[in-house]
Formats: sequence, C-alpha cells, structure tokens
Amino acid sequence: MAKLLIVDDENDVREFAANFFRRRKVDVVTAANGEEALNMLDTQKPHLILLDVMMSGIDGVETLRRMRTKNKDVRVIMVTGRKPEENNTFKLCSELGALNYIHKPLELDELEQVVMTELKSINGVLEPKT
Amino acid sequence: MAIDYKKELESAAKNMIMIHEPDLLIKMIVRTIVQKVRVSHAAILLQQKEKNSYLLTVSRGRSGVRIPPAFARMDKDNPLIRIFLEGRNKKLFNNDGVLVYGEAQKLLKKKIPADKKELLRQALYQMELFGTVACIPSYYSQELLGMLLLGDKNDGKRFLRGELDFFLALSSDVAMAIRNAQLFRELAYEIDRKNRLFIHTTIALAAAIEAKDNYTHGHIGRVTALSLEIARKLALRNKLAQEEKFMHFLQIASLLHDIGKIGIPESILNKEGSLSDDERKKMQEHPMIGTMILQPIQELEDALLGVRYHHERYDGQGYPEGLKGEQIPLIASIIAVADSFDAMTTDRPYHKGFTKEEAIDEIRRSSGTQFNPQIAAIIIELFQEGKI
Repeated sequence: MAKLLIVDDENDVREFAANFFRRRKVDVVTAANGEEALNMLDTQKPHLILLDVMMSGIDGVETLRRMRTKNKDVRVIMVTGRKPEENNTFKLCSELGALNYIHKPLELDELEQVVMTELKSINGVLEPKT
Repeated sequence: MAIDYKKELESAAKNMIMIHEPDLLIKMIVRTIVQKVRVSHAAILLQQKEKNSYLLTVSRGRSGVRIPPAFARMDKDNPLIRIFLEGRNKKLFNNDGVLVYGEAQKLLKKKIPADKKELLRQALYQMELFGTVACIPSYYSQELLGMLLLGDKNDGKRFLRGELDFFLALSSDVAMAIRNAQLFRELAYEIDRKNRLFIHTTIALAAAIEAKDNYTHGHIGRVTALSLEIARKLALRNKLAQEEKFMHFLQIASLLHDIGKIGIPESILNKEGSLSDDERKKMQEHPMIGTMILQPIQELEDALLGVRYHHERYDGQGYPEGLKGEQIPLIASIIAVADSFDAMTTDRPYHKGFTKEEAIDEIRRSSGTQFNPQIAAIIIELFQEGKI
C-alpha cells in the first residue's frame, strides 16, 4: 500500500488531507513539524511526502534540505500559501529536488491528481482499483 | 426534532441587517446550519474580488471532514462552478437550482445531452472530492456570488424538500447581504477617494498662491501642520475641536487661508522693505478676496470662517471686521497663531527670522491682545514639550 506522509503545522489541514487520501486507499501518516517529519522518514519510510513550506520551527524548505541529506531519493511535493512567482521558494525547492509544487488555496482535484500521479509512477504501491 | 425554518430564516435575516461584516454573518449561518440541521459539515465558497475563483472561506464540522479555511478553491472553470454559471439551467436538476448528489446521479442514467451529462459527471466528482452531498448556489442578479456545500445529515437520511427550500432562501439572503456589504465598502471607498481628491485639489490651489509669493515658500504646509497639531491638543479640552468635521475644515482653511493673495499685485506681495499705507491697505484685503473666491463653494462651510478671519485680533484691532474675543471663530484663532508663529520664524530678505524661543515669547506677550489666550497657551505647551 502506498504510504504518504503529510507534513503541516495546521491540525485541520493534516486531518482533512489525511482523510482525503485515506478515502483513496492511501496509507497516510502525518507530522506537525519539520523535526517530526525528519524522524518519520526513517521510522515510516513513506513513498511520498506532502510538505508545507510555511511552518513554524524548521520551515518546509529547510526540512526538504535535511531530508535530502538523509535520503537523496526522497520524493517530496511542496505545498505553500504563496504563488510560485511571488518568491524564489519554487526555484529553491526545485534545486533541492522537489517533484512538484502546489499553492494554497488549491483545487482539490489538482491535489488529488498531483499526488496520485506520483504514487502511480512508483511501481506496485497503489492497490488496483476495484 | 423538526425545525421551524420560517423562524430560523427570520432570525437569520434579522442578523443580516445588523451585521455589516459579511464574514461574521457567514460564519454564524454555517454554524447554525451545522447545529440546527445536523449535518456532518457545511462550508461556504465565496467569489473572490478578481471574480475568477471561489475560495472556501468557512467550514464547520467534524475534524477530518471540515476543510480548513483558505485551503481549497474552485476556479471559475471548475465543473461545479460551471454547472451553476452556465446552469441556472434548472432542467439539469430536478429541483430549482439545488444540486443534490443522489438525485443528480439518477439523472446521469437518464437520457440527457452528452455534453451536459459530462459536465454533471465532472461536477458530481467535485462534490465527492469535497465530501459534499448538496450544493446550494447563491446568486445576486445573474452573478454566482458563492455556494453552500453540505455534508451528510447526521441521521443518514436524505435532505427534505423543506430543508432544501430553507437553504435556498437562506443562501439568496446571504448573497444579498454580501452584496450589500460590498456596496457599502465601495461607497465608503468612493467617499474616501472623493475626499482625497478634494484635499489634493486644495493643496494644488494652495501651491498656486505660493508660486506667486516669493516669501512664503513652504509656509502653507507648515501652517497647516501646526494648526492641526494645535487642534489635536485643543481637542483634549474643547468639545468643538473634537469633531472630525472641525479638523477637516481646519485643514482646508489652513491650506487656503492666503488664497486671496492671488488678487494682490505681485509688486506688493514681493516688495522688499516695508509697505506704504496704501499698499498695506491693499494687502489687508486678502482675507476678503479669499472669502469671495471661495464663497460659491458651499461645501467649504466653516472653512470659509478660517480664511475670512485669520487676521482678526483678540482685542478687536484686527481685520477685516475687527471682531473681538470669542466673536472670532475658533478655527480662525488657531490659524492666526500658527500663521504668526511661522511668519515670525521665517527669514525674509529684509529681516532675519526669530528663533522659536523668541517667537514663543512674542506670542506669550501678545496672548489676550493679538491672540486667543487658550490657543496661545497651547502653542507654548507644544513648544515646551519639544513638539514644534
């Protein structure tokens, strides 16, 4: 089963997104901050990570940087409240190897599509549709 | 328990009249729906200012089901938006404008045009994404202002006709309230804009006087700033000065107090050395010339008093009318002090300006003769506090 790690410091976002992907037969684990997420990288070994950029403590970009140092194959999609053209976060994340970039407020089908497409590209992790 | 929808609607409508802030109103309505109708969650999508997308602004319900505010949006090409935009096509739905998941799914099995069927299929998919079983649009004239999204009823039953009618009525009232609030804001903005236009026009006019008078460079700006500073302090002890209108008129009057100098020959205005008696008499006409120029502008109201009487003296020896003491409007007494202070402290070709201390001493000496003692006291305090 595909395992998705959702990292966001807003409880409502974690809960909603977790529920959203569980309904799509994805095993979801969540982390409320960067440090928690870094620990879960080893303990949970998620196939894909949905990582919020604007977090208190270690922000998303720094979390991404540290994740890449730990495991250069980590697959991460960034989520942020800012539009990519508004700052250089997008560029920074791309350089750090983020797969994609979604900005809030987001369209739910975009969220679904971006995440599910990534999961599909990993062989055999998604359960066949019944 | 049955709900008295009529009563709820009336109470909601009452709230809408009282609340100018639509955000608050919307939150209240969503909360009422979740509590009274007992649905798993309710959310409202609102059209954004740029009109090309709808933002999920309020959501209530169980954790995990409610959607965090400002997390999700629908662009105007989203099928669920399109179905209501193009829609208003009531034939698509078997009721008047409400999209109910279960009923709409039955429609998919019926014979309807392929393009409509596809749009409906995509719209229903959006409803799945949002965990929504009923969508209630909010229109104001032809515009889709927003949408109410409802989750399952907690008792697992279908929405009743009466409930859907209630939501429709509610949502059209909400649209009305939102639009009213928007118009209200636009109006406030428009008034603000007009006011700024007026002030800027006044400043331009004041600059025209300064351009003519070589000696007064920056004088008008300084007098205006000082007059307002005096009035702010005066407001702590004088009711009249507390009025917003008073400050407004004082600003205008300070800016325009010398506008009558437009009618004074430049040979007199810019003369080096003292004026002859005739020249002085001519020069003293400027408050009345200013008054005549501005008289036709009715909206200036009390600002005119400041222009007309800023050369009156407390002891009645001033001009143009020789008003005395409290006969002199407060607005003019303030400008008189600020005007004199600035004139005294400004260098002229034929005399070097006073220091601030010297000017304040002069005002202290002339308090009760040339100047209104209350205003003189204030400028002295301002000086002592290091504010001027």
